[in-house]
Amino acid sequence: MIDVQNVTKSYGAFEAVKDVSFTVEQGEILGFLGPNGAGKTTMMKMITCYMPPTGGRISVDGLDVLTDSMGVRKKIGYLPESTPLYEEMGVLDYLNFVADVRKVKGADRTRAMDRVISVTGLTKVIHKDINELSKGYRQRVGFAQAIIHDPEILVLDEPTTGLDPNQIIEIRNLIRELGESKTVIFSTHIMQEVQATSDRVLIIDQGKIAAQGTAEELKASIAGQMHLDMVLRNADKSKFIEAIKNIEQIHLEDIKLQKNGDIEAALKVDAGTDLREQLFDLAVSNQWKILESSPSSFTLEDVFRKLTN
Amino acid sequence: MSEILAIYRKEMKTYFNSPIAFIVISSFLVITNWLFFDYGDYPFFAINIADIRGIFDYGAIVLLFIAPAVSMRLISEEKHQDTLELLVTMPITDMQIIIGKYLSTLVIFAIILGGTLIAPISISFVGDLDSGIVISSYIGFFFLGATYLAMGLAASSFTRNQIVAYIIGIVIIAVFFLMNGMANGSGLIATLFENLSIRFHYQNFFRGVLDSRDLLYFISLISVSLLISSTALESRKNK
Repeated sequence: MIDVQNVTKSYGAFEAVKDVSFTVEQGEILGFLGPNGAGKTTMMKMITCYMPPTGGRISVDGLDVLTDSMGVRKKIGYLPESTPLYEEMGVLDYLNFVADVRKVKGADRTRAMDRVISVTGLTKVIHKDINELSKGYRQRVGFAQAIIHDPEILVLDEPTTGLDPNQIIEIRNLIRELGESKTVIFSTHIMQEVQATSDRVLIIDQGKIAAQGTAEELKASIAGQMHLDMVLRNADKSKFIEAIKNIEQIHLEDIKLQKNGDIEAALKVDAGTDLREQLFDLAVSNQWKILESSPSSFTLEDVFRKLTN
Repeated sequence: MSEILAIYRKEMKTYFNSPIAFIVISSFLVITNWLFFDYGDYPFFAINIADIRGIFDYGAIVLLFIAPAVSMRLISEEKHQDTLELLVTMPITDMQIIIGKYLSTLVIFAIILGGTLIAPISISFVGDLDSGIVISSYIGFFFLGATYLAMGLAASSFTRNQIVAYIIGIVIIAVFFLMNGMANGSGLIATLFENLSIRFHYQNFFRGVLDSRDLLYFISLISVSLLISSTALESRKNK
């Protein structure tokens, strides 16, 4: 449905997107995950024809964003970051205006309005002005304008930012509901969001794709790996580092010297190994005292942190 | 075409949902009529001549401050609220957006023009107005306002701040209005400046003659201003 090939975007000397390629299948919900400034918004602005890529090709349902911009725009419903709305307009006036520009007319208009208002739950505020609305309702108006022409594709840029936990869940449900019949791309920097909503995740960092796959696939890529946090007393830092280096299956991630001289170490242990005994023996032979040893498994959060650090 | 009308209707709603339209229209009419009937060395009531040229002389100056106030919000506010991003990703061309917005300002101006008819109509009851001159003056005044508004729209497309747009608008219009005073004599430069100035072409309408050169001048200024506005919207693509 959406085909992105070797796309680059530079703002002057700064390359916001570097040689990115991916495809989105029809009916798929794709989550764009990445830290702020990773290039998520830039990518979305290029897909929605706000600005052209510097290099590469983007096509939407076979239509090129450069040569068939109007055709692409008709297929897409877009909710930009921070939900820009005309503050001084009424909700109904605004939706009518979007329907006007989108050429939704006559009986179609009446049907579209009824559908959109009920799907996004705007009935209560339909006669209010937009500047009187709460953040949650504003977001719904943003959704309503994006789906008024019943587009095949929805592009949503950080649709849950700034909402309270209840509203976030409502919006996630809305995305899932809309995703049943539409192709959806949405961006976020919140991990649980992609896990909860999307079929597939694309992790973007510094303008490049750092990883892609389903949430399960991404977790599997580091499956079995464990974190091990240890606190040792009476240990010499350099000696400890040396000793850890000699054990192949353990990788030192971080080491800190506490005020009282204790050593706090964060270790990563390879899949399928249990080195607790070995570490115990190591400590005993050096007369170190293990004060703490707590293993934990990796989460999607760790995948993200690992890939985008 | 329906896209242009959609933009036009939205802008008209915005003008009349807020006090902008009423303030702008009434302040123009009050100030201009006061200047014409009651101000200066030759107020209408004192000189006792059935001539309404004063309306257009004073009107041109008052409009210099009023027209940019009408157009200042058109693009700058879209930029300020980030709604421009949504607008330009809908199936509508940048030029359609500009024309739709421009059309709404022309209608506001038409209401202003309608308001100024009070003077010629009431005077025609008591005196003998030259209807040819009145008509050609009104055509001139319409083109003058249309040009101011197009320039104000262009000014609005340069910035995301309405006040900045207002001031840039006044400056651009004033430069074009007063250009004939910027070079003296009869050299090439002076002739060029004179022919480029709004005042020079505007004055011709009061003689009761419609010269295609004057019309062409105003139409060119309007077209260039609209083209610049649309290009400014498009500049997002070259960032």
